[in-house]
Amino acid sequence: MIKLENISKVYRTKEIETLALDNINCDVSEGEFVSVMGPSGCGKSTLLNIIGLLDEPDEGKIALNKELIMSYEDKKTAKMRNQLVGFIFQSFHLIKELNVYDNVELPLIYRKMPASERKQRVTEALEKVGLTNRMQHYPSQLSGGQCQRTAIARAIAGEPKIILADEPTGNLDSKIGHEVVDILAGLNDNGTTIVMVTHDEAIAKSTHRIVRLFDGRLVG
Amino acid sequence: MLKNYFKIFLKVAAQNKLFTFLSLFGISLTIMFVMIFSMTLSKITSGSGPENDLKQIIFCQRVKTAETHNGKRWGNGYSVASVGKKFSEDYLKKVKSADLISMYTGPSPWEFIFNGNYQKKLQNQTDAEYWKVFNYEFLEGRPYTAEEVTNGANLAVISQSLKELLFGNEKSVLGKTIHYTSMNLIVTGVVTDPPKPDQNAIGDLYFPYTLLKGYDFDDYIGNYKVAFKSRGKKFDMIRNEVQAIVSRADAADTTRAIFLSGPFTQMEKMMVGYGDPEDYSIGLSIFKYLMMALAFILLPAVNLMSLNFARIHERGEEIAVRKSFGAASGILRGQFLFENILMTISGGILGIILSYVVVGLLGNSLSMSFGFWNNVPFSFSFDFKVFAVALTACLIFGLMSGFLPAVRLSRMKPAAYLKGGEI
Ligand SMILES: Nc1ncnc2c1ncn2[C@@H]1O[C@H](COP(=O)(O)OP(=O)(O)O)[C@@H](O)[C@H]1O
Ligand SMILES: [Mg+2]
Repeated sequence: MIKLENISKVYRTKEIETLALDNINCDVSEGEFVSVMGPSGCGKSTLLNIIGLLDEPDEGKIALNKELIMSYEDKKTAKMRNQLVGFIFQSFHLIKELNVYDNVELPLIYRKMPASERKQRVTEALEKVGLTNRMQHYPSQLSGGQCQRTAIARAIAGEPKIILADEPTGNLDSKIGHEVVDILAGLNDNGTTIVMVTHDEAIAKSTHRIVRLFDGRLVG
Repeated sequence: MLKNYFKIFLKVAAQNKLFTFLSLFGISLTIMFVMIFSMTLSKITSGSGPENDLKQIIFCQRVKTAETHNGKRWGNGYSVASVGKKFSEDYLKKVKSADLISMYTGPSPWEFIFNGNYQKKLQNQTDAEYWKVFNYEFLEGRPYTAEEVTNGANLAVISQSLKELLFGNEKSVLGKTIHYTSMNLIVTGVVTDPPKPDQNAIGDLYFPYTLLKGYDFDDYIGNYKVAFKSRGKKFDMIRNEVQAIVSRADAADTTRAIFLSGPFTQMEKMMVGYGDPEDYSIGLSIFKYLMMALAFILLPAVNLMSLNFARIHERGEEIAVRKSFGAASGILRGQFLFENILMTISGGILGIILSYVVVGLLGNSLSMSFGFWNNVPFSFSFDFKVFAVALTACLIFGLMSGFLPAVRLSRMKPAAYLKGGEI
């Protein structure tokens, strides 16, 4: 489902050059639930951004859903992100001006889809995370756990094959964190491929496989 | 999708009240001026009072002659002024495709001392057709006839305000005498004062043009204007006929090249203004005025653009999120332009309301004049074209101030705004 070949990424600022990813080779098969672990600054977010086509590697090849990414033409990557990938972030990144319903609808408004179908999909996604009673609430009116459940609903509303979760439990207490991971595990049971960055060994152990990063390199 | 954008627009506008105020303030003031200008212009060109048939009238008012020698231009000398008496009488008044043709000097200053006080009024020397081309309301008496004009009868039509100045509140002033320079004119009619927006028919004293010699400069140039009235608005036919006459006169006269622009509608006349009759171009005039209008919008648009640039980073997270979930750059540009145009249209609606308030409160004490215009007080108009102009201005405003910020915003790298890892 995800294939990375010799991926390198360098960040250049005026003063320093940071090798964020150094020759990464990695395969994630369909239906896998992979945890990415490693110390702060080792390149985990960069890796997820590159898998999600939000960032372009300096070297190496990447294939998603058996399609090799040849060019990073804006329209094309936008479409692939829209159809194939759902993002979940540590700090939720809900659009604060929009209510829960509108946030969850976000990936669908960039598709040609009748309003009735969008409504059905949003409602279904919210049912899966148990938030149908909060549709009209704004992010500022929700708890952290509710925000992350909204973000999950947004990530799954478009029924993507891949979910990329960057420390989805990092801002939540451990009980709520486990609830969130349970939701993700449920999605994985239904076939969604998941790559999740986490600092929590226990959570990581509950997934199929752990990938460890150190200074931009895969270890172990 | 648009509903989504609309919600965002409202929220962002409500969150950033200072920014919203500054934007709306600039836009609404600009649109207010655009409105006042176009309402006044619309008032002038749609005609009222004696000019209520203005849409059926076209005008000749400027002729140019240049010396020629054996059919070639002789030096750089040329003369431009109004139409000559002879040329008007013998050529232009004979145009067949017009229903009615009038020659007249047009409103010209008339200064005199009355009861020891300095007075400034307007006088207009006309033919008899003048009273049919323009529809004055006679309070008493009648206009002078064609025969009276031909015979040079000492008659005058005066405005109500001139009557009140000279004769106080006497009931009837028909048959009374008015002194104009060294002439004694007998009042034959009194008309209501034309409204201020009239550019052609305003005046206080009207008398037969045959009473004065006029000051023809040559056979073509003098001090007359010629108005052609065509109920069916057959303006092109009239224009062709007039230009054919000019060509014939030009060909017949070996000593002069003759140029006459038009005849023009009121709008065209104002746009061409003092332009060279030999080399006028309505297209160029329209272009010139459009450029002026754009320049007028440019300053506040640049202002709004810099405000937009300044707050791009506020939208960074939202843009990054939208990109993550599949918004292409073009879609984001569209969203931002849409929001910006909503902003300029809101400002425009405020500006329209403001313009009516300003004209309502101060309309009579403020006036506009430039180029060929007489002084015209700010006027109301509910002409749909005026709204179309204001709305177009808002659109242009929104595109001008929104395009570059939209481009920059759509190019932002999402990764930088999506720090999901370490705190
Ligand atoms: N936009 C950027 N510009 C420059 N350096 C960056 C940028 N993003 C990340 N980095 C650097 O790249 C390295 C990896 O960052 P990141 O992938 O965010 O790490 P992690 O998510 O594992 O904490 C870090 O050293 C970070 O400082
Ligand atoms: Mg990170």
